[in-house]
Amino acid sequence: MKDQLTKGLVLCFSMILVLIIISGCSDDSSSNDNATGDDQDDTEQDNGSDTVTLRMVESLTSPARTELLKGMIEAFEDENPTIKVELISPPLQSADEKISQMLMAEEDIDVLEVRDQTVKQFSNNSFIEDLSVYTSEWENWDSLNDIAKHGATSIDEIPYFIPYGIYEKTLFYRKDWFEEAGLDVPETWEDVYNAATTLTDPSQNRYGYSFRGGAGSSDYVEFMTWSYVGENIVQDDGYFIEDGSPMFTTDEAVDALEMFVKIYEDASPPDSISWSYPEMVQGFTSGTTAMLIQDPEVIVTAEENMEEGTWDTAPLPKGTPSGVAQQTAGTAGWGIGAFSENKEEAWKLISFLSSPEQNLHFAKNNSLIPVHKSAGDDSFFKEGYFSSYIEMNAKPDEYLIADRPVDYKGWGEYRGVAEKDIQSLLLGDITIEDALQKWTDYWVDQKEQQ
Amino acid sequence: MKPEPQPKEVRVLPTFKVNKHGLYIFLSLLPALILVSLFIYYPLLKGAIMAFQSYSLFDLTNIQFIGFENFKQVLADPGFRRATINSFYWIFFSLIFQLSIGFFVALLLKKRFRGRGVYQALVFFPWAMSGFLIGIIWRWMYNGQSGVINDLLIRMNLIETPIPFLSEPNWAMVSVIIANIWYGITFFAIMILAALQSVPEELYEAAKMDGANKLQELIKITIPFILPTIIVTALLRVIWILNFPDLIYAMTNGGPAGSTHILSTFMLEKIIYGQDYGQAAATGLIIILLLIVFSIFYLMATKFDKAGDF
Repeated sequence: MKDQLTKGLVLCFSMILVLIIISGCSDDSSSNDNATGDDQDDTEQDNGSDTVTLRMVESLTSPARTELLKGMIEAFEDENPTIKVELISPPLQSADEKISQMLMAEEDIDVLEVRDQTVKQFSNNSFIEDLSVYTSEWENWDSLNDIAKHGATSIDEIPYFIPYGIYEKTLFYRKDWFEEAGLDVPETWEDVYNAATTLTDPSQNRYGYSFRGGAGSSDYVEFMTWSYVGENIVQDDGYFIEDGSPMFTTDEAVDALEMFVKIYEDASPPDSISWSYPEMVQGFTSGTTAMLIQDPEVIVTAEENMEEGTWDTAPLPKGTPSGVAQQTAGTAGWGIGAFSENKEEAWKLISFLSSPEQNLHFAKNNSLIPVHKSAGDDSFFKEGYFSSYIEMNAKPDEYLIADRPVDYKGWGEYRGVAEKDIQSLLLGDITIEDALQKWTDYWVDQKEQQ
Repeated sequence: MKPEPQPKEVRVLPTFKVNKHGLYIFLSLLPALILVSLFIYYPLLKGAIMAFQSYSLFDLTNIQFIGFENFKQVLADPGFRRATINSFYWIFFSLIFQLSIGFFVALLLKKRFRGRGVYQALVFFPWAMSGFLIGIIWRWMYNGQSGVINDLLIRMNLIETPIPFLSEPNWAMVSVIIANIWYGITFFAIMILAALQSVPEELYEAAKMDGANKLQELIKITIPFILPTIIVTALLRVIWILNFPDLIYAMTNGGPAGSTHILSTFMLEKIIYGQDYGQAAATGLIIILLLIVFSIFYLMATKFDKAGDF
């Protein structure tokens, strides 16, 4: 009897589980709408009122930024009581993958974070909307600065996203150490090398430069090569020079790579061959290294961990003999998902987040370079640590912007290949010529495939 | 001539009985079957198909069957050869040390002593942590400038300059293996301890009466008794160690210069950098194939059938 009862219970439980699984797998769009976790919304949906729930996914997630975004979304919801926003924040490491998977599954994401790194992939697969219908009537389009506009329309001149900020690199340096040693703020890579070797003293665990030899090292070879090659680089096809050959074929590329290796060997911690973002920033803020080249978000980290007056920022070092510094202006922003059923409302949210006031608020609190021209007048950006960015942007002939070859199929793979080659080069397993020849061959092949 | 209906009915009756019973078994198994099919077999099948397709995230509008092209490209990749050799070292040294130290820890924990529960919990703690997190912790511990390991070695006057644990290829491989050994000892300790506790005390009493010493007890009683457990756990560990990219991914990302890639991190790299799911799936199939071949040989070599059921 007892046995039968147990059997019955097991069977019952099994059936319930099957039902749950089946209902979980079924494509029930209403369950998506109700995912806000807000009971009131559900009631409103059920009652068939006009409330729309937008699904928004971010990519460069961090707890602080998510809070900031939520605050801005709340302000938007207050202004638009009929629109609710559900913010999805996947972990940073896998966020772009997650977004791709959601889009592959044709989920109705309304607003999503699109970056210069992902825009080609998203547009290629028709995952995102062409925003020109909206931007043509948007009063703030013309107030965007040139870099933001360039980023927004980097693929086929079509605005696929509205940038919320610009990522550019700048030089962070230990002001106190430089003053102590009587050194000037470096303007060229030669200056960086000389200052870095002067400040290097391994016995005190002190090194001149926060070198990046691990993940992301190819970015550093990239902007050094760009700076050395200078104006010969094709701006919108950044890995090629005017005659159509890859930039790695030039003599300047050899000079740049020689300097890169010299700085590692003579002025950087030996361990930095495997350093990526966290170690290089920690190396600088903890007082191990004297110089660091990084994005503006490091300003916040440095402010939190270092004493005022011990450090400062300066424009990116220039190449010789080109006399220019050249880097990419990373942009990221908000786009509309192709499978969205609430595109008008989605645009409303994007235009709200991208307004000069909201963008200034976001850029200040997220330590980013803002996208509207008017932000240059704000004292926060005009003075202090951000002034090096304003200086670089004010001299477009000396501080050039080039585009990464993100529209080539092999771009992602190249970064992995180059990072391995860079470490092999630093270990002495291959020569500078070997590395440059390999990258040249790679990009000649990519050009042919294009 | 028409067939006689009588024998048919006779056959139907027992089948119906079996069916009712079978239906109950089937329904009870159904949730597990659905879950396993949905989350294991379907992705496995999909992955196997992908291995023969040009499946790149860059261009999902152009997915085609391309035969063995992905396999050719993966096998021609110099990184694949290195990852295969590294996988061998990674598995061999991790397993040997995890097993022997785990066995030792289990022997220590078998005896009752004050605070055993707390000690047990401490020993088993690493197993509850995420591999990725452990990787990050070890990565900072090995750091040349601010890492605790170098700092301790310098303070103890054992070395003068920091050891480039993660920045010199040979050291890097040794370092990730040490971290993996630390992580995996626990698993063996748990499994072997459970097996040790099932060894009947009478056997030891009888051995004592026959004048056996501790070493003889270990070799003649303990090890033979727990051998099936060791064989199965070792096999499981080989599979898990090979499919465990978390540590290496977090500690070195396969570097420097690809010197610490094992097959599973090599596969991850194909996805993260190359966004090439086709080549990644092909690598995955090769891993499965290697593991199947290994498992068959291993079980044959260890005469698992004779070792008894587990």
